[in-house]
Amino acid sequence: MGHKLNVNGDVVDVDVSDDTPLLWVLRDHLGLTGTKYGCGGGYCGACSVHLDGAAIRSCQLPVSTLQGKAIRTIESLEQRHPALVSTWINNNVAQCGYCQSGQLMSAAALLDANPKPTDADIDGAMTGNICRCGTYVRIRAAIHQAAGQQATGGAE
Amino acid sequence: MMKAITNLSPHSPHSPEFSRRRFLGVSGVLVLGAALPVGRALGQTPAAATFEPSLFLAMDSDGTVRVTVHRSEMGQGIRTALTQVVADELDADWSRVEVVQAQGDVKYGDQNTDGSRSITQNYDRLRAAGASARLMLRQAAAKRWKVKVENVTATNHEVVHAASGRRFGYGELAAEAGRLAVPENAPLKKETEHRYIGKPVTHVDAGDIARGQGTFGADFSLPNMATAVVVRCPWLGGGVKSIANKPTGEPGLVAIETLDAAPSAGPLFAPLGGVAVVAEDTWTAIRVAQGLDIEWTPSPNQTFDSDELRVSLRASVTKAGTPVPGSEKGDVDAVFAAGGTELSATYETPFLSHAPMEPPVAVADVTGERCVVHAPLQDPQSARDLIAAQAGMTPDKVEVTPTLLGGAFGRKSKPDFALEAVELSKRVKRPVRVQWLREDDIRHDYLHASSAQHHRAVIDDEGKPTAWLQRSAFPSITTVFAAQAVQPAPWELEMGFSNLPYTVENQRMESTGIRPGVRVGWLRSVCNIFHAFSANVFADEMASAVGRDPIEHRLSLIPETGTLKQPGQPAPPGHELDFARLRHVIERVRKLSDWDKPRSEGVGLGFAVHHSFRSYVATVLEASVANGRPSVSNAYVVLDCGTYVNPDTCVAQMEGAVVFGLSLSLYGDIAMKEGAVVQSNFHDYPMLRIGEAPATQVELVPSQGRLPAGVGEPGVPPVAPALSNALFAATGTRHRTLPIRT
Ligand code: FES
Ligand code: FES
Repeated sequence: MGHKLNVNGDVVDVDVSDDTPLLWVLRDHLGLTGTKYGCGGGYCGACSVHLDGAAIRSCQLPVSTLQGKAIRTIESLEQRHPALVSTWINNNVAQCGYCQSGQLMSAAALLDANPKPTDADIDGAMTGNICRCGTYVRIRAAIHQAAGQQATGGAE
Repeated sequence: MMKAITNLSPHSPHSPEFSRRRFLGVSGVLVLGAALPVGRALGQTPAAATFEPSLFLAMDSDGTVRVTVHRSEMGQGIRTALTQVVADELDADWSRVEVVQAQGDVKYGDQNTDGSRSITQNYDRLRAAGASARLMLRQAAAKRWKVKVENVTATNHEVVHAASGRRFGYGELAAEAGRLAVPENAPLKKETEHRYIGKPVTHVDAGDIARGQGTFGADFSLPNMATAVVVRCPWLGGGVKSIANKPTGEPGLVAIETLDAAPSAGPLFAPLGGVAVVAEDTWTAIRVAQGLDIEWTPSPNQTFDSDELRVSLRASVTKAGTPVPGSEKGDVDAVFAAGGTELSATYETPFLSHAPMEPPVAVADVTGERCVVHAPLQDPQSARDLIAAQAGMTPDKVEVTPTLLGGAFGRKSKPDFALEAVELSKRVKRPVRVQWLREDDIRHDYLHASSAQHHRAVIDDEGKPTAWLQRSAFPSITTVFAAQAVQPAPWELEMGFSNLPYTVENQRMESTGIRPGVRVGWLRSVCNIFHAFSANVFADEMASAVGRDPIEHRLSLIPETGTLKQPGQPAPPGHELDFARLRHVIERVRKLSDWDKPRSEGVGLGFAVHHSFRSYVATVLEASVANGRPSVSNAYVVLDCGTYVNPDTCVAQMEGAVVFGLSLSLYGDIAMKEGAVVQSNFHDYPMLRIGEAPATQVELVPSQGRLPAGVGEPGVPPVAPALSNALFAATGTRHRTLPIRT
């Protein structure tokens, strides 16, 4: 069944069954493999993308519910959040990196809503994103740093 | 001949190049900071290199250097670290170095990325590779200029004759250098001359990862590839008896294939068997797989119950086990009989699942005469042999290329998932990706062994043991390799059991094995987890029995100087446990944690120290109980890993080890009933979340000049005992069983 989706600013058509989660539409049908499968149950956040600006778990969203919504994935994050991407690199946040697309998408949604988050704000917004490698302390540090850079217009 | 630089097919509609063009219109991605232009030539096969003096290093005439990394990247930063070593001795310009991932091939020597030994094993040979190339470039220039090679230097991608001011870029000399014989014993740099070794270089994959462009196992694809999800028997060794509702005509369904069951004992790395649903896309495969109604054949493992195993383990440490040969000192029984202050305690730890963030996944393409596999494999070389056997080919027809590993922790040293993909590709005659679901990962892992540990000691007024009996019981990893194996192997006991660094005059060590009804395997730091837990908590119990400071007490058990004489195999020269280095990390963590500073009411500090994988780690955790749950506010870690290549990576590995160690301390618990794992996903097998991660300070002991040691694993063992000890300090309650739920 055909579905029209708005992904990273482009309108695309996909022909998949209604119950196909957005995660698999992105990965299998649109070639956007930056969004990861980690649990399929909404527990880990590896599949996080933005839906109308909010970080959501793409493994939990059937494609049929996405008409008219703006979907953004890790592949378009740098355009809007260059400071986040560069602080992630410069702080060597990633270890294996598998969770990091999801971490970055959650971090970006946080900064959009709250440009100067506290540690508690970060912990609250990022609690849905598991990092099995344990990069949490660097994630906190990088978000603070990116927030600072965005505030001073440093990297925008 | 160089092989393709990339893990990605240029034709794949799933390749990042495609998605970038299609969705972003962003031209070429620039890599920021010090990250390398890794794999810039995605999809292109480089021409034969002009200058290829080693398996690990090649150079083109434009000066591009390609370093071949023969170990797998799973977050430990090895692609960066090995490249740093080669590039340093070559004195290359970092921005002109590319990283090539090696396929599995015996020509590289050991490729098993396991045991925290990639740097230990390869530091010298990779320095030599870089140094030889650098000398050859100098020789080529000296020849051209007709000057002595001693008067020619090579720095930052340039060869210079200082007297005349003449210079060549490395690339200009590549062709001539390529005609020279590779020198033996090329001079190595002095430590002060290092430009990358010992420096915090940004990881080579950091840019790709932060942009969602890294190629993990599931991100690799081939034209016409199908995706398979396999439903496996809940118990080890069970096969498919019947499928009650085999679907037909489902759109996107390619095939339903029955795979043979693994042996019920000694399964090694054989695929578990089951019903494979092969489909055009992942969701169809998942949906169909989840709807199948399968009846399984029985196996002796069908009655396996982890609670019953724990009862047996507990019982076995109440009686004498098999003595560790050469471990007996003095007369333990006589001291026990004589009486005195006696302590004894039993510690228990459960089964654990690896749960790497990326569940197992593999892509295989078996055609008439060739087999190509791309997968997150820790050991592509041994996997290649098994894949060849599965495909019915000789290994020379098989190409195995590791993708990035989305975490592994030991799970991906077992290539059973790649063998599934090979078998299915052979059957459906197209490339096949096998995607494990998280539920498959948790339920069908090679579990970290459950264990019981028993310690009994008589202590003097200062809390020092005059006699110490240690017992360890657990299902050995060797049970996976041999149907008859039972007894723990010496190498398992050398992980923190038979090599405790404490001075005791009367001592005995005994172990007991048991056959489990499940595959067990090595998980990040392996048996050190339960051995370090029990030994460090028991030592803490000795200190508290006499009211001594735990760190003071511990130092009093360790000789000032010398090295440990352990029973069995001696440690390799230079890697013996050095008491002074052990004491040093303890002293440093005392300082780093401000150990003597009083904490507020209800907050406790716990200390643990452990030597493993040739490294020394001392850890202090600051913990309390909040809302009935343990809460860790601060972690302090001191690491002495000898010579280190990338200090920032070492720090990151300790930070990660604290989180990994806390996950297993607070949550890790895999139970088995009727042969099946009870848990299935992160809701019932939870991981530490960001709000629970303590602020972490890591100190790296400057030990350049010493042999390089392990970093990926040794941070884990001290975490659980430090937590238990901290909670005792905070609350007075002793926790001897993991996980600690309080
Ligand atoms: S894959 Fe969606 S939350 Fe884990
Ligand atoms: S970096 Fe490996 S799971 Fe987060």
